[in-house]
Amino acid sequence: MKKKLFKLLGMLVLASVLMSACGAGAAPATQAPAEKAKVVIFVGFGTGTDPDQVTAQDALARKFNDSHDNIEMEFLIVPTEEATERYLAMVAGGNAPQLVGPHGTSTIAKFKEQWEDVTSYIEKDSYDMSDFYGPATTINKYPDLDAGLPLGLYPSFIFYNKDAFDAAGVDYPTHDYADTSWNIEALREKAMQLTLDANDNTPNDAEFDPATIKQWGYADTWTDMRGQMTMFGAPTEGRPTSDDYKTAQVNSPEWIFGAQWLHDGIFKDHFIPDAAGQSAIDADTGDPFGGGHVAMWYSHTWYMSEGLNELPFKYDIAPLFYNQDGERISRIHADLFTMPKTARNKDAAWEVMKWLVAPEQIVDVCKIYGCLPARQSSQGAYLTYMKERYPGIDYDVIFTAIDYLDSPHHESWVPDWGRVNDALNNTQSTIYTDPNADVKALMNIANEDVQKIIDEYAGGK
Amino acid sequence: MMKKITGLFAWLGRSTRGHDFLFKGITTLILAAGSVVIMIPLAFMISTSLKDPAQIRSDANTLIPRKPVTVELNGERNPIYDVTMDGVSKNMAMIRKLPDGMAQFVDPSSPDEVLELSLKDQTALYRLDIHWENYPEALTAMPFFRYLGNTLIVTFVGMFGMLFSSSLVAYGFSRFRAKWLNTLFLILLSTIMLPSQVRLIPLYIFFQNLGWVNSLLPLIVPQFFANAYDVFLLRQFFMTIPLELDDAAKIDGANPLQVLLYIILPQARPALIAVGIFHFLYAWNDFYEPLIFLHSRENWTLAVGLQTFDALYTINTHLIMAVSVLMIVPPILLFFFSQKVFTQGVVFSGIKG
Amino acid sequence: MTLFKPQKISLARREELAGYAFIIPWIIGFIIFTIGPMLSSLYFSFTDYNIIDPPRWVGLANYARVFSGIPEFIQTGDPRQLGDPLFWKSLQVTLYFACLALPLNLIFSFLLAVLLNQKVPGVNIWRTIFFLPSIIAGVAVTLLWVRILNPRMGILNPFLQNVLGIQNPPGWLQDPNWAVPALVIMSLWGVGGSMIIYLAGLQGIPTDLYDAAKVDGANAWHRFWNVTFPMMTPVLFYNLVLGMISTFQYFTEVYVATQGTGNPQRATLFYNLYLYQNAFRYFDMGYASTMAWILFIIALLLTALIFRSSGAWVYYEGQLRGR
Repeated sequence: MKKKLFKLLGMLVLASVLMSACGAGAAPATQAPAEKAKVVIFVGFGTGTDPDQVTAQDALARKFNDSHDNIEMEFLIVPTEEATERYLAMVAGGNAPQLVGPHGTSTIAKFKEQWEDVTSYIEKDSYDMSDFYGPATTINKYPDLDAGLPLGLYPSFIFYNKDAFDAAGVDYPTHDYADTSWNIEALREKAMQLTLDANDNTPNDAEFDPATIKQWGYADTWTDMRGQMTMFGAPTEGRPTSDDYKTAQVNSPEWIFGAQWLHDGIFKDHFIPDAAGQSAIDADTGDPFGGGHVAMWYSHTWYMSEGLNELPFKYDIAPLFYNQDGERISRIHADLFTMPKTARNKDAAWEVMKWLVAPEQIVDVCKIYGCLPARQSSQGAYLTYMKERYPGIDYDVIFTAIDYLDSPHHESWVPDWGRVNDALNNTQSTIYTDPNADVKALMNIANEDVQKIIDEYAGGK
Repeated sequence: MMKKITGLFAWLGRSTRGHDFLFKGITTLILAAGSVVIMIPLAFMISTSLKDPAQIRSDANTLIPRKPVTVELNGERNPIYDVTMDGVSKNMAMIRKLPDGMAQFVDPSSPDEVLELSLKDQTALYRLDIHWENYPEALTAMPFFRYLGNTLIVTFVGMFGMLFSSSLVAYGFSRFRAKWLNTLFLILLSTIMLPSQVRLIPLYIFFQNLGWVNSLLPLIVPQFFANAYDVFLLRQFFMTIPLELDDAAKIDGANPLQVLLYIILPQARPALIAVGIFHFLYAWNDFYEPLIFLHSRENWTLAVGLQTFDALYTINTHLIMAVSVLMIVPPILLFFFSQKVFTQGVVFSGIKG
Repeated sequence: MTLFKPQKISLARREELAGYAFIIPWIIGFIIFTIGPMLSSLYFSFTDYNIIDPPRWVGLANYARVFSGIPEFIQTGDPRQLGDPLFWKSLQVTLYFACLALPLNLIFSFLLAVLLNQKVPGVNIWRTIFFLPSIIAGVAVTLLWVRILNPRMGILNPFLQNVLGIQNPPGWLQDPNWAVPALVIMSLWGVGGSMIIYLAGLQGIPTDLYDAAKVDGANAWHRFWNVTFPMMTPVLFYNLVLGMISTFQYFTEVYVATQGTGNPQRATLFYNLYLYQNAFRYFDMGYASTMAWILFIIALLLTALIFRSSGAWVYYEGQLRGR
């Protein structure tokens, strides 16, 4: 009886193998010899899947295709939530897209082993990199990988709600990058005055009720633990390991200070929203600042592409504050298009990559994605466009922020990137949900966890 | 406790007219209370679908979409308040908030006269602001009718294939004695016990080798080969149909296929409809498989189109909700009208009393 | 050889062949679409496979990772001694959820079906209303629930405080102790699906059985217990088995509600969510496949157990007796 079962199973396996083999044999026949090299751009790891953006990208593809005889470019739109599965399926099926993007540092880090190093292409064409902002060319560069030509930057700064400041009688934050009095302590003081419960009490008042907070003084949203820790200035800034990636450095004094500062801000001084508060103001609008729930919101330029429309209050932007050691480290994101190693038509893909970031297009492309063009020569055109769209903002704050970037970047590669980040993010979750957390102990445990993960990685599991 | 329940049922079961009326009253009351709970998220869904992003941002919890009344002064938009001074109420613009709950107000007709008043004592004015245009916007932001067409093909062709194949297979599993059938049935059930995430990549490669990726075929063709959920459900129902009915038909000379067609299927009508509805809903709402297998946008279904509104930095909540509301309508109609067939029920058990 | 002499086939043999003939559609589909991917994933479970590069055979290493450290854990009681503490955590979360959600769903949907089977005015409309949650696409509804359950700005807690007088209502999805119960509540909202299956079952109960019971003087409770309930056991059985299988694979709602993180503090790190993270966030498809096959074995054993027990409590009017 058992024998029969095995025979049956064996036959089934054989049949299924035959089926797929036949299928595989048939596949090449469907591909007619193409005269135009096809370049499929996989959009989905970052921005670019919004219906308006889809339309704009289609127009961009038409513009390219009308001016090129030998290459056909096409945007493949995949909704963000399922982009990873679809991308991996395509690569595993031998059908890798020619370009992927626009996406940021995390996507490069996650798939680091499989991006094409464009160094040889740059050298072959003697491509002039001097027009790009310095940081844009270094953020996504590793000793063994230059992932692609820079497209855009997303510097970070503080959006502040002028109405909230007026109502609290608090001075607006300075716009002067040199003013060192705008530090972490000044931020805390302002933020506490700007935090209001249902009865308009602030955390400085005795009758303040943290359960009914309706407006928080400060929030740093949409980022993970490394993103929140990078500003505190550990020797490896946004990276939780030593330079050789062998030693975890999660419990550095700077990170412990930062984690403790966050926890105190949430549960002692109450000017930072806890997890429930974050979820409430983020709920389904994804916009804590626009909803008027946060007086000072630390975010990036991408918020400007959609969020600033029709806000029911007056606002402006200010630089990030100086940290506890008198340093200013202001996160930055850099987006680009990358080439999977296993894709066909790589030369054509390189041409498309160059075209997308060429001085003639880069402003248009960045308008679609809401980034600041990575070319210094495009600053004027971009500024004109932005001033028209969002008048009355101090744009110097944005451009100066680029000089204070975090390096190593908070999304940069580490061994077993996903596991390391999730170990840290679990600590972040505890900081945001447990009022009685022993922060130092937490960071020590996280350090052990990360050490274990990178040890296992080094040992080949 | 048990005794009490038994007693209650016994009392209710005495079915005098008064009790009957009371029983129906209680039932209706419970159902009504439950309906309120059910309808709350739905009400929010409809309400959100009629708001613009600014309203969702700042006024998420109000059911009726509204907007503050504003006036433009010196190039800035200011909200209007109903200000009460000396017993007279007047509409004034709030131009600046001040500490201690105070604010500056001006009369829009004479904007130079600034008054400082307590903000709490004044009421902000709102106007009804319903955004019906979200619906046309949602429909035009994606090729709605193209997606609808794809969805209908996938849904109905798949439903036909599923009903056809699952009825046959369930019949095989419920009405025949054979050595391997029980084992095979367990194998059938086991196909849904392995999480689909680990099968996705091989399945994709398989469909790609067949040349089916980027066509509707991967979503339709497998439906013609039965599936565990529906076969199991139909089998359960087939097995409640008394064997005497089959035997009678067999004596009249019916072959197994005729027994299925003329005895089993008519008896199992409620189950067939239930299975059909479930399949409809599954195919109608599924976005995961279509997303992986349908490359180009022309082939997308509605559920996939809906996913694109949930972009990384821009969540078009109003459009998500508008499309979601629209997508409820066809299944509701289908369900509502299928009930007629559904509730006819079965009268004879075939057991001789 | 029997093919040439069909007249010699015994009646029993004929029944057997007919049975196999009817399930052929499934067998073909199984061979073409199902067994290949299933066996592939079984193979992956013995490999190191990041989906991009070809799988590399590692033998039992993935399984060893799951089961190592158990003696140390038993000795010290420290879950960090386990080879992969998160595996066990995710199993625990899933079982906890299953223990709450499965019985509650079975009971609520059954009671609802009984209520909706009464001849009350407008019953079609009531049924439609209670079926509504099963109709609405998952993502939009989950987003709404996240808002409703929010302890700061949702509408549930004010209701609990002001109407029911509960002083400190829980933080639901943001409280590690209440996140799973919150998801159970969300799942109860969708009992309409199972309700429909019970309702279909109730429709299938022949009315003459009730008439006969009435003649015998049975009251409503006896009619329910002696007619309705036994006739409904096949459906109950179905909902139990499928409920178990799908609860073990609970994923979409928690993925949307926690943005795939399993937060707060991994309190909602469901088995399938952790499996998904391994597959598509850590690119460790080998380990994910190992997890999938462990779950497969658990589900298969439990299903077989339920099937074994079914003889004692499931009543089939059309039961085939062995020869």
